[in-house]
Amino acid sequence: MSDLPKALVEVDRSAELNRARRRQQMSRWFNLLCMMIALLSVVVLVVLLFTIGYQGWSSIDGQFLTTAHDPEDPEKAGMYPAIMGSVLICLLCAATALPIGIGSAVFLEEFRPQHPVLKWIHGFVQLNISNLAGVPSIVYGLLGLTVFVYMFQVFGKLETNHVSGVDFWGIRRYYQIISLDSSSTVLVPVTDTSESTFQITEPIKGFNAQERPIQIEVWKRGEPRPTDPEVLSRTVRMNARGGLLELKAWYYFRLPFGPSFLAAGLTLALVILPIIVIASQEALRAVPPSLREASLGMGSTQWQTVRNVTLPAALPGVLTGAILAMGRAIGEAAPIFVVLGGNIGKRTGPENLMDSVVTMPILIFGWSELPVERYRQLAAGAIIVLLVILLLMNSVAIYLRQRMKPTAG
Amino acid sequence: MLSVNEKITLPSALTNKRFRSTMSSRLSERGMVFLLAGCATLTIGITVAIIFMLIRESWNFFSSEYVSLSSFLFGTRWTALQSAGRIEDAEFGILPLLSGTLRVTIIAMIIALPLGLMTAVYLSEFASERIRSILKPVLEILAGIPTVVLGYFAILVISPTLQIFSSSFGTFNATSAGIAVGILCLPMVCSLSEDALSAVPRALREGVYGLGGTKLDTSIKVVIPAAMSGIVSAFLLAFSRAIGETMVVALAAGTQANFSLNPTQPAQTMTGFIVEMLKSESEYGTVPYYSLYAVAISLFILTFSMTLLGQYIRRRYQEAYQ
Repeated sequence: MSDLPKALVEVDRSAELNRARRRQQMSRWFNLLCMMIALLSVVVLVVLLFTIGYQGWSSIDGQFLTTAHDPEDPEKAGMYPAIMGSVLICLLCAATALPIGIGSAVFLEEFRPQHPVLKWIHGFVQLNISNLAGVPSIVYGLLGLTVFVYMFQVFGKLETNHVSGVDFWGIRRYYQIISLDSSSTVLVPVTDTSESTFQITEPIKGFNAQERPIQIEVWKRGEPRPTDPEVLSRTVRMNARGGLLELKAWYYFRLPFGPSFLAAGLTLALVILPIIVIASQEALRAVPPSLREASLGMGSTQWQTVRNVTLPAALPGVLTGAILAMGRAIGEAAPIFVVLGGNIGKRTGPENLMDSVVTMPILIFGWSELPVERYRQLAAGAIIVLLVILLLMNSVAIYLRQRMKPTAG
Repeated sequence: MLSVNEKITLPSALTNKRFRSTMSSRLSERGMVFLLAGCATLTIGITVAIIFMLIRESWNFFSSEYVSLSSFLFGTRWTALQSAGRIEDAEFGILPLLSGTLRVTIIAMIIALPLGLMTAVYLSEFASERIRSILKPVLEILAGIPTVVLGYFAILVISPTLQIFSSSFGTFNATSAGIAVGILCLPMVCSLSEDALSAVPRALREGVYGLGGTKLDTSIKVVIPAAMSGIVSAFLLAFSRAIGETMVVALAAGTQANFSLNPTQPAQTMTGFIVEMLKSESEYGTVPYYSLYAVAISLFILTFSMTLLGQYIRRRYQEAYQ
C-alpha cells in the first residue's frame, strides 16, 4: 500500500465536485451582491437628481437668474446676487489658495532636505497637511470668525450699526447736503469721523456730486436767490444738515474685516488649501523621475528643474486638483455661514472687499429653512443651477485628466 | 554639401553669450527655496492658529463661574440657547450634543462602511472595464455633491420615505440626517478602500487562484486582510468626516438637544448647535457665546484624534510589498 495521506487516497470525487461547484456558486452570488450594492449608489444619484429636478425645474427662468431674494413674494425672488457672490468668492479663493498650495506641494515633493532637523520638519509639515484635511470645515469657519471677522477684538468691539476699527484705503467720507437746486447735492469732506451729521454755517470748499472740487455757497432766508443754475446747484440753505455718505472703491480695506467678502473668501481658501496641496503633490509625484534627472544632469538647479520641467509636466494634474478644490469651495456652506451669518437679503453681488455677500449654498440653506413651500421649490431651482455649474467644472477637470494621460505614461 | 569654409553655426545660447553669474543664480535659488518653505510653514501656522483660537476662546467659557469642567463633560442637559439672558439657569452638559452626534454618525456609518467597502471590492475585484467606466464617474459626482444639497434631499425625500415605514419619525430626525451623511461618506469610504485594495499586489491574487480559490476566497480571505490597514484608516477618516458634518444635520436633524439614543427623535449635534448659536445672533462675549468654542474644541479633539489614529494605523500596519 502507498503511504499517501488519507485525504489523498480516499477521494470522494462527487463530493469534491459538489464542493467546488458550491464554492463557485457562492462566488457568483457574492459577485451579484457586490454589484447590487455598487449599483445602489447609481440609484441614489438618479433619485436625488430626479426628485430635485422635478421639484425645482419649474422655478428656473430668466427672471430667477437675474433678480435678488424677495422676503415677501417668492414669485419675484431670484438668485443673481448668490451666483455673482459664489463666482467671485471662488476667484478670490483661487487667487490666494492656489499659489500657496502649489508652493507647499513643490516644497514637499521636490526639495527633500538632507539635514536631520529639516527632515523632521519636512515630515511634520506633511503630517500636518493630512491632519488639516481632516479638520471639519466648521472649525475653519470659527477660525475665520475669530481671526478675520473679529481679529480677537484687538480693534475694539465689533457691533452692529457702529463703525469701529481702522480704515486703510479705498474709502471717502462726505456729508451729503441737498442744494437749492433740489435735484443735486453737494459733498463736504469729513474731518471728524465721530460726527454722523454736519450743519453748514459758512461758505466752504467742497465737492459736487461727481466729486469735482467746488466752492459751496450759503444762502440765508431773505437774501435774493441766485439765478444762475450753475451757482444754484452749489448753493445750500443756511444751517442745512447733511448726513454721512461713504463712497467705497472696490479695493476698500479695513481692519478687522468684519463679516465681509474678503473674510469669507480667505476662510474658504483655508478650507481648500490642504486639498490643493495633496492633489498637487500627487500630480508632481506622477512626473517620471527621468525628466528631473535629465534636467539636473544638464546643469539646471533644483528650482530651474521645477520651473522648466516638473511643473509644466505636472500642470494638467495640478489644474485638475485645483478645479476639484474650487468645486468644493463653491459648494461649501458651513464656513461661510459661520463667517457671514445666514443673511440672504443682499440685493447685489459684492461691491467691494468689505461688502457682505450671499453665496449659492447659503441661499439654498436659507430658502429651505423658510416655512413657505414655494421657497423650498426655489431652493431646488437654486440647487439645479449649482449642480450645473459644478458639472461644468468637473467636465473641464475630466477633460484635462484625459489630456494628461499620455504625458504621464 | 559641407565645405570647410562654411561657418559653423553655434547654438544660440553660446552665440548670445548671456551668461549669468553663478552667485546671482545661487541667491535666487536660495530665495525661491525660502519662499516655498514659507508656503509650507504657513500650513503649520494654520494648525497653530486653530489650536490657539480654540483654547483662548474656550478658556473664556471654562473660566466662567457658571461652568465647571465636570458638569461640562458629564452633564445631561444643554440649555445654552433656551435660557438666553438668564445665565444662572443655563446648563452646559455636552452629553446631549454628543449623543446627537453619535446617533447621526453611527447611522451614517451603518450605511457608508459596508456599502462603501462592498462597492470598493466590486470595483477592484469583479467589475469589468465597462462597468468601472460608469461607476467611477457616478461615485465622483456623488462625492462632489454639496452637503447642503444632501441636507435638502434628506428633508425632501428621506424623511417622508421613513414616515411611510413608521409614523414615529418626525420631519427632523436623527435617522434621516444619518442616512444623508452616510450617502455623503460612501464615495469617500469607497475610493479610499479601493486605493488600499488595488495596492495589494497581483501575485497574491494569482497565488490564491493557483490554489484553486474562487474570486470570493480571493477577496474575503486574502485581499481584504492584506489591505486591512488602509480600509480601517478609510473607516476612521469617514467617521471623522461624519462627526464634523454640518449642513446636513443643521437642515435635517432638528434643533432639540436631548440626551437619548432614540434614532426617531430629533438630534442636535455639536455642529448643529454651533449653527443654531450663530443663527440666534447672541452677543459676542457672553458665556453662551463662548460655549460655541467649548463645543468646537470638543469637536476638534474628536476629529483630530480620529485622523491621527487613522494615519498611525495606516503607517504602522501597512504591509509593504516589494
